[in-house]
Amino acid sequence: MAKTVGFSVSDGSVTAALRQLFKQLFEKKLVDAMLVPLELPSRENVVQSLVMRPEALDAANPLAPVLPVSTASIISKITKQAPSAQKMAVVARPCEMRAIIELAKLKQVSLDNILRISVDCYGTYSVPEYKEFAKSAGVTGDEFMKGVKSGETDRPEAALREACRVCEYPYPLNVDITIGLFGTDFTKEISLMANSAAGEAVLNGLGLAEVSGGNRQAAIDKLVAERTRQRDEVFADTLAESKGLEKLTSIFAPCIGCHNCRDVCPVCYCRECVFDSDTFCFEADRYLSWASRKGALRVPTDTLLFHLTRMNHMGTSCVGCGLCQEACPNDVPVFRFFRLIGAQVQPLFEYVPGRDIEEPLPLTTFKEDEFEKVGFE
Amino acid sequence: MSETKRKKGKAVLVVGGGAAGIRASLDLAEMGHKVYLCDRKPSLGGVLVHTDRWFPDNHCGMCKMLPIFSRDDKSQFCLRSGLVHPNIELLPMTEFDSVTGEAGDFTVTVKSAPAGVNPELCVGCGTCNSVCPVEVPDEFNEGLSQRKAIYLRTPWLPSNSYVIDWAACTKCGECVAHCPTKAINLSPQGSSKKISVGSIILSTGIEQFNTEAASQYGHGRYPNVLTSIELERLLSQSGPTEGVMLRPSDKKVPQSVAFLQCVGSRDMKRNYCSFACCMYALKEAMLIKKLYPQVEVEIFYMDMRVFGKGYHRYYEQAKAAGIKFTRCRVPLVKQDFQNGDLIITTAGEDNSLKQRRFNMLVLSVGQVPSPLFQVLADPGGLGIKLNQHGFCQTGEFTPVETSTPGVFVCGSASGPKNITDSMIGASAAAGKASHYAISVEWPENGGPSNGAGTDFEIDAPAKTAVLLCDCGNQISSIIDMEDLLDASRALPSVVYAERAPYLCMEDALASIRPKMDHHGANRVVLASCAPFLTRRLGASIDLDPSLIQVVNLREEVAWPNQENPVAATDKARALISMAVERLRLQQPAVMLHIAMNQSALVVGSGLAAMVAARTISDFGYEVHIVSREPELGGRARNIRTTLSGSDVPAFLEDLRRTLANNPDIHQYKGVEIATVEGHAGNFHVILTSTVADPSGKDLATSSLEVGSIVLAMGADELRPTEYLYGQNDKVITQTELEARLNTGDLGDVKSVAMVQCVGSRDEDRPYCGRICCAEALLNALRIKEANPHAEVVIFYRDMMSYGLMEADYKRAREKGVLFVRYDPERKPEVKAEGGKLRVTVRETALPRNDGNIVMEPDLLVLSVPLVPRDQTALAAILGLELTEDGFFKEAEVKFRPVDCVRDGIFICGLAHSPRGMAESITQAQAAGQRAASIMAKGRLMSGRTVSEVKARWCAGCQMCVDICPYNARVMDESEGVVMVLEALCQGCGTCVVSCPSGAAGLRGLSDKQIMSMVDAAL
Repeated sequence: MAKTVGFSVSDGSVTAALRQLFKQLFEKKLVDAMLVPLELPSRENVVQSLVMRPEALDAANPLAPVLPVSTASIISKITKQAPSAQKMAVVARPCEMRAIIELAKLKQVSLDNILRISVDCYGTYSVPEYKEFAKSAGVTGDEFMKGVKSGETDRPEAALREACRVCEYPYPLNVDITIGLFGTDFTKEISLMANSAAGEAVLNGLGLAEVSGGNRQAAIDKLVAERTRQRDEVFADTLAESKGLEKLTSIFAPCIGCHNCRDVCPVCYCRECVFDSDTFCFEADRYLSWASRKGALRVPTDTLLFHLTRMNHMGTSCVGCGLCQEACPNDVPVFRFFRLIGAQVQPLFEYVPGRDIEEPLPLTTFKEDEFEKVGFE
Repeated sequence: MSETKRKKGKAVLVVGGGAAGIRASLDLAEMGHKVYLCDRKPSLGGVLVHTDRWFPDNHCGMCKMLPIFSRDDKSQFCLRSGLVHPNIELLPMTEFDSVTGEAGDFTVTVKSAPAGVNPELCVGCGTCNSVCPVEVPDEFNEGLSQRKAIYLRTPWLPSNSYVIDWAACTKCGECVAHCPTKAINLSPQGSSKKISVGSIILSTGIEQFNTEAASQYGHGRYPNVLTSIELERLLSQSGPTEGVMLRPSDKKVPQSVAFLQCVGSRDMKRNYCSFACCMYALKEAMLIKKLYPQVEVEIFYMDMRVFGKGYHRYYEQAKAAGIKFTRCRVPLVKQDFQNGDLIITTAGEDNSLKQRRFNMLVLSVGQVPSPLFQVLADPGGLGIKLNQHGFCQTGEFTPVETSTPGVFVCGSASGPKNITDSMIGASAAAGKASHYAISVEWPENGGPSNGAGTDFEIDAPAKTAVLLCDCGNQISSIIDMEDLLDASRALPSVVYAERAPYLCMEDALASIRPKMDHHGANRVVLASCAPFLTRRLGASIDLDPSLIQVVNLREEVAWPNQENPVAATDKARALISMAVERLRLQQPAVMLHIAMNQSALVVGSGLAAMVAARTISDFGYEVHIVSREPELGGRARNIRTTLSGSDVPAFLEDLRRTLANNPDIHQYKGVEIATVEGHAGNFHVILTSTVADPSGKDLATSSLEVGSIVLAMGADELRPTEYLYGQNDKVITQTELEARLNTGDLGDVKSVAMVQCVGSRDEDRPYCGRICCAEALLNALRIKEANPHAEVVIFYRDMMSYGLMEADYKRAREKGVLFVRYDPERKPEVKAEGGKLRVTVRETALPRNDGNIVMEPDLLVLSVPLVPRDQTALAAILGLELTEDGFFKEAEVKFRPVDCVRDGIFICGLAHSPRGMAESITQAQAAGQRAASIMAKGRLMSGRTVSEVKARWCAGCQMCVDICPYNARVMDESEGVVMVLEALCQGCGTCVVSCPSGAAGLRGLSDKQIMSMVDAAL
């Protein structure tokens, strides 16, 4: 790790400290703009907002435990047509950052002039549960961190999303600046870590004193171990529940083909999905001939095909944010399958989606002597 | 001779259809020449058809020779089963007989052996084979299996015509009686014909060493002693054991295998090295280890000659894979008659004898000159000169020219070679031969024909004819043809369907098109035998090939399902439905042309660059030579002579003058390439001056438009850091020694030590310098010549005197040069003591003086390798890759050695890898020929099946751009979508697989077609 500086927290409010930090970035002209979650006046949700006037940062709430939309999708909208001409900081969670890297590899995001700032992530609630949580809490980010400190992130009205409970990458990978919470007493001081030259330049510009990393790694190891354990439980359950075509078919049977899962997926990037075209529409006699061959034909015929196709395309790039499952109106456990398959496929290519912009997408690499044995022995 | 004065014939004759002959023929055919390719065997491929898997990746790759551009006009089939090119006429079972005339106007008489089976009538049904009562050893499998007297020479595709082995045939007449097409004649006449050609290429190859002349190894007596080619057959899926390595005596997998190197070469009678055996032994050993990791493999050798590109790394991989290497001679092999094991007596370097036991023994047999050469050398024939070994004599600066004008040579005919060097020689020879023949394809106006496929009516609805072949009863006895006819007639778009007893017979063929016209059919399904044969038939229907679909009812349906006619009929129905469906949705093939620049860029200033430039300009194209250096000549300027005694300065001066006097050759000195955009045929190159002085005028940003690019940037000699180099003036490099020899100021040197492999074949540079051993031999001989009493000792690891250079190694030994091997683990130690150098070498052969040789030489000469210049930036500009050692990577190691992956860019000389002068010249001629060849057509034409972009769906992720192996996809930045360069697209479909959006598609094989076909199949 290149450089770590301390940033003091007063009155025990991490959120206040972060607002102060973000404002300093503007004041010291280290950034011109910032994409950061701002609280709605109703306090019921937070929304990524592109800030150019620092006073708006009074509503910044980057630790609010909710992830309505992945920042990756947003930054793609902002930078795909043309890269940002001004220095823009992006504040987002580790899974969002990883999705941004995947999209950058897929030329759907331009990282030019983008400063990636990410936070150690303890997880998020679903949007409805967050709304409940926000009713009783003060500043939601701080309130949540209190829970973290006392070891109670799950509450009666809000439990961590499944995707967060089983996430083995709660810490940012290769972003410009990491806001370090793990292993710190974040009611007193947080650490800021530069992971790139751009990040280091910004930290130098802040003129803060260097501190040691503390026992961050131990805290990470402990958290990851616990999440991996939970992950493996979920995998085991998923496998048991889906064994055989019959079970698999019934799990996906509630799918209504709304394609919400695709729309919220941060890495699904097609301009127009082939499943929105008439590619899978046929003449009536085609359907009839299928039906006559099988006796009965489940229609529409492309329900499972849709999910399989998406998995085929996105399986290696899936960052495990779980938004697909959140978006499903019928609780199809889409995320579980993407994670399960991703955990099998990604290691085959020694690939961690979003780990490093330099790592080529598995599909674009070819090694003469890989996968010499395929299929079943 | 100038282009206009030279006599030109109508065609070129290529004698010998091995890999080199095929390569030369294809290159000539692609330049638009008519080619006769004759071989005395009934099939092509030479020695290569016996081997399946090659260095470095253990795959077959013969098809990589097939042309990349305008590919629809040619066969795109496995070259093992046949070669189809509109400009190549194959003359199988045909030998060169006699010749009259001169370069540019030869009349050659060729003699064809009596063909018992008429290939026009033979349908490959195999009935003759099944009734033939004679069984003899099958030479295809090196006698490891049996075959009949009427047989197929290669098993790749049964549709090849059967041939008769007259030596074995008893003329019992069974085959004649049973042949359903009356194709067999047991008393045929041989024939001879005269062909008129402008030039001749000899690619007659080699013979395998006859092991009877080395009886001490027991081959032929002991069943478990095999030759390397026999082992290839054992390891081959098409071999006698279907790829399972079973030793002949007991059909068990041997647990220990030994290889003996240099059998039939580097001996008293054959004073040359066979070039390829070290590497094929390594490859075979690696294959065994891969298939049977538990088997012990040991190679007994004299020197491991791993001198080529990537060879040393492969050698290290072999060691890491557990293959053992023992340096010793093997004087004797005996068999344990109890169990068939072989007892090998080894004589180590210290002359100690040991006995070793192996389950199987492989002899790495050498290459010997083809006896055909005696005929060709006959003064009444071609009268070409042979060298002392019986190979065709060539010159160092004229490596593919024979002593007879208009007659060229390539492959092992001029000395043992491997595939790579044979390919290089073949392209070079094709280039030379091309000047003596007119182009038949685009004779005067420079433009090719538009190609076939003009009769497609774009808006016409699909009307398909389905033609079913009974193949006598080969198909109809298994498949219910009437059922199939009914099913075919019921398919959408089918306008008529019918059966024929033999679809391939002339009368049936002739009636196809008229009947189609009668029914208004515009597409046809041919359901008969293997596609190779049927396609050939399809060509005679005069229809766009994309409107013909072939279903292989015989080999794929009837034959494998003889026990289950119902399943066979079901399968046939499914396959025909798929073919009909594909044709029904077939989109019109649009063939696109790209006009091209007919000028070339040559990068570099050395010998390779100069030769390449001259080669291209010989074809009449403009050439731009671009180099950083202020003058031409490169490393060759420091060389006065070679091992064969050639006058290098004279050659170089002649070359320099030719280039300078040619107004179509432009030299740009002190410049380098800034950017290269575009593609084969249309490269846009920007040059910048390397000279800081702004008076470099407009060169600062000049730009060129060229059709092809040849890379020949050269390499530099390593500056050694070992052995007191730079600290003691008695320590010099071979180049420095050569300079002193040239100027004659060597001084009174009585004793010279040379150390080989300084800075090469180690961890930093795990490659062989290839030419350092030759340099050492040359300089040692020159010292001995100047002062026969001078002591010269060469400390070496493996003497890389490969090929015919072995004779020079022997000559040096005879002149008294001492060769002492050292172990890389214990390198020579050099100390400077009181004005003297003291070299201590742990000697491995005859330990004396406590195992050390101590020498106090007047000069210590270091043999250092050539190291590539840092080409990272240029490689990035060109979009090419470098090898791990920093040399440019070729498209394919064996079959496309001078092509780059990016089409239109070629590579030669030291930028490719270290190589000797003659080798560089050959390679430069090959690269020049290839660069000129793609420009010969004046334009590039796309194939029928090419990729396309549905712009509406393209998200611009450029994954397809990254993975396209042919650089046929580029980003259109202004539109934000990818576009296709159709002329470069090979229709492989990789882009379609990578595109998640469905934006990438294949014209001619659309998603809709595929889904519809799948549906039809079910």
